[in-house]
Amino acid sequence: MKVTKLFAVVMAALLLTACANGPKISYGDATAVETTTTGFGSTDLQSIAATLVDDLVSFPPIVQMTAARRPVVFVDKIKNKTTEHIDTESITDTVQTKLLKSGKFRFVDMTAVRAVQEQMQFQMDSGMVDPSKAAAFGKQTGAEFMLYGNMSSIVKRNDSTKDVYYKFTMKLVNLESGIMEWAGEKEIRKSGEKSFFSL
Amino acid sequence: MRRNLVRVVSGAMLLGLLSACAVNETATVQVGEDGTTKIIESNSGFLAASLSIADSKVGSAGDLMKVQATIQNQSRSDLNFRYKFKWLDNDGFEIAIDGRPWTPLSITAYESKSVQAIAPNPTAKAFKILVQD
Repeated sequence: MKVTKLFAVVMAALLLTACANGPKISYGDATAVETTTTGFGSTDLQSIAATLVDDLVSFPPIVQMTAARRPVVFVDKIKNKTTEHIDTESITDTVQTKLLKSGKFRFVDMTAVRAVQEQMQFQMDSGMVDPSKAAAFGKQTGAEFMLYGNMSSIVKRNDSTKDVYYKFTMKLVNLESGIMEWAGEKEIRKSGEKSFFSL
Repeated sequence: MRRNLVRVVSGAMLLGLLSACAVNETATVQVGEDGTTKIIESNSGFLAASLSIADSKVGSAGDLMKVQATIQNQSRSDLNFRYKFKWLDNDGFEIAIDGRPWTPLSITAYESKSVQAIAPNPTAKAFKILVQD
């Protein structure tokens, strides 16, 4: 009897020292699968970006178009039609970065227009910049394509289970002709069950 | 009765200790230029014994490398694991580190599934598949 009691105490001590020794801070893998909740998470963002970029750069007409030149693209905002607050600009930032690094596309950054305008105004009007080296107005390149999309979700739940379905759609449209050159979709399904202790 | 209770509590604590401190395992499979595959490093005996690369294809989408690997579950139980592609340039340097996320995959007993990926840029000339238990 004494031996079993002693064993139980030793096990409890081991458990406490191994796993509950005060707050523990550590760095994790940023690309690891994250399943903390059924809400939109880092794994969803990364898988959406990876799937859509793979799809876009391997779509035969796009492969043909980008073989000899790097078209200029403008990224519009993603419409968030889900019930969650999701930073959709973060998704488009990741997609834009991956596309830029693929060497297939170039981008005009509409989020920096005001800052660019202020800097050019400074170069032209302040008298501090050599006019021959100042960036001239009216020389910027216009975008040929627009990349935009939608994000929607369907959430269903009962007493014990919650099911979340996300659909992310992205489209590439020729600004001049209005023709949609490419559209890609990524679907994600996440299910969560209430644990025994939370019932 | 009391002795049994102490035993159950001890067993539950041991189980809790083991599950709370489980370690992830990684196996790396490399595909050569001739399409042959080999596990070049593995700290996961379970995965190395249960999974195999049944087939691999290398193609191109323009000047980007396009790869497909068929992963086979050789065990008699269903396997849930994660995989990730890594890309290497001509000199063996890894490119676009952390460019792709770990992707969950489930394969039922003796079944095989194909996974595909496109290289992040034209400098990619070889790839690896990482498998995590």
